[in-house]
Amino acid sequence: MTQAATNTAISVRNVSHSFGEADEARHVKALLDTSLDVTRGELLCLIGPSGCGKSTLLNVMGGLIAPTTGTVMVGDKPVHGPMPNDIAFIFQENALFPWSTIHENMILGMSFQGVPKAERADRAQRALEAVGLDEFAGHYPSQLSGGMRQRAALARALSLETNILLMDEPFGALDEQTRMVLGEDLSVLLSRSKKTIVFVTHSLGEAVFLADRVAVFSARPGTIKEIITVDEPHPRKSAFMTSARFHQQRDQLYDLLHDEIRKSMAQSGKPKRAYEDQSSRAGPAA
Amino acid sequence: MKRYLLRHPGVARLGVILLMLIGWEIAARWFIDPMFISPPSRVLMALGSVFATPNVPAALRLTFFELAVAFALAVIIGVVLGLAVGLSKFGNKTFMPIVLLLYGIPQITILPIFILYFGIGPAAKIAFGVTHGMFPIIMAVVAGVQNIKPILLTSARSMGASNWQILRHVVYPNMIPSLFSGMRLGMTGVLLGVLLAELYVSTGGIGYFTSMFTQNFDPTKLLGLVGILAAMAIALNELVRRGETHFARWRD
Repeated sequence: MTQAATNTAISVRNVSHSFGEADEARHVKALLDTSLDVTRGELLCLIGPSGCGKSTLLNVMGGLIAPTTGTVMVGDKPVHGPMPNDIAFIFQENALFPWSTIHENMILGMSFQGVPKAERADRAQRALEAVGLDEFAGHYPSQLSGGMRQRAALARALSLETNILLMDEPFGALDEQTRMVLGEDLSVLLSRSKKTIVFVTHSLGEAVFLADRVAVFSARPGTIKEIITVDEPHPRKSAFMTSARFHQQRDQLYDLLHDEIRKSMAQSGKPKRAYEDQSSRAGPAA
Repeated sequence: MKRYLLRHPGVARLGVILLMLIGWEIAARWFIDPMFISPPSRVLMALGSVFATPNVPAALRLTFFELAVAFALAVIIGVVLGLAVGLSKFGNKTFMPIVLLLYGIPQITILPIFILYFGIGPAAKIAFGVTHGMFPIIMAVVAGVQNIKPILLTSARSMGASNWQILRHVVYPNMIPSLFSGMRLGMTGVLLGVLLAELYVSTGGIGYFTSMFTQNFDPTKLLGLVGILAAMAIALNELVRRGETHFARWRD
């Protein structure tokens, strides 16, 4: 029991969350009675139909949203707000401060967290080297490409030297090729550090490629439907992506998700009949 | 020729200004009563005599002083009120409509009250300049505070930023570009307010001399003085614009 407790980085117990008051029209039940243990050193992917509450769960884990009911523990500490010493976030949108250079962004982040002044420059340099951006330290975010900005955001998170990284679709706004390369880099990083990562994604391939475990969400109100394990050591090579096992697990994931995605889409209106092309009917018979 | 001008809009701009000056020169020399207008060449030559008119240099100094003080006060009051209104949802919902309502009132109608309260000296001019200049600044600060991307606040909070750090390192830099465009509008407002008050009742300052030159049918000196005033306004505006480009250089 104690063994299990020390191996758990984040423990989520019976968390439900609703947005808006119960009597309001825009009251939304985002999460329903979700429990989950994130093991130390693993990369856990949260995948599910849009609006299923996976991002909500991530924000609850990081203390950015207080859940309506339920508890979250990070190690032996209950989460009641942001925990900058334990958890660093990486968001989908560009969350770098546009008025600061990449270097200044990192210094600012560390000053928020409370890193001693003398250590900041050195840590910034090391983190930028780790993501290959040390030559761009003096650039403003607007001068970098989307992929470079997300690498900079990753560097800022790394410089905080937390044990846990929470990533909310960090590569979601990037093109397929860039996100594949960044995924490989993240796998390398994971093999070198002992960080625990929770990673929200829409992409089945990304989930299988990166995750040690994938938690599949049901449609809203979201809860975890099933957890599948991907048994492949990090760093994962691109060869893994073309292996039969990769495809088999991707298909398994798709089967699990398919019904939930349909359900989720039905919540926001569904097609009543197939579209009939008027022009082809009116045209001359073939 | 057309392609050359398209590539060098500055040349075309200069040409338009030159044409306007030539048109003015011709009209003033041969077509319009010299009691009402003076050709630009003569105005330029007479600039020296404007400065030589007794008390005009002192008037220029006084107006410049009123403008500077009024602008400084407008910025301080504008930023403080803008932050007070913009930083909270409550403040925004409660006070913003009032600010907009007050901004909509043509203040010229209450200028006599300013004279009544502040006297006919510089104080009334400064006060009238402040009330004209502060509204655009309030609105710019409110807009600058409100248009912040929520993700930046969330991100700062996730890294452990305190409320003060968020204000200092996130809200404040986000507001700067908007503040500067507000300050440029505010500068125009301050000029308007101060000069209106000077024209209305004045014992010194440029306003006194513009009305005097007009009453003496001396368009040469009047236009010279107006020219000096315009140069002053352009210089002040340029100063704020320089500041804006400097502090907003992170925007591409």
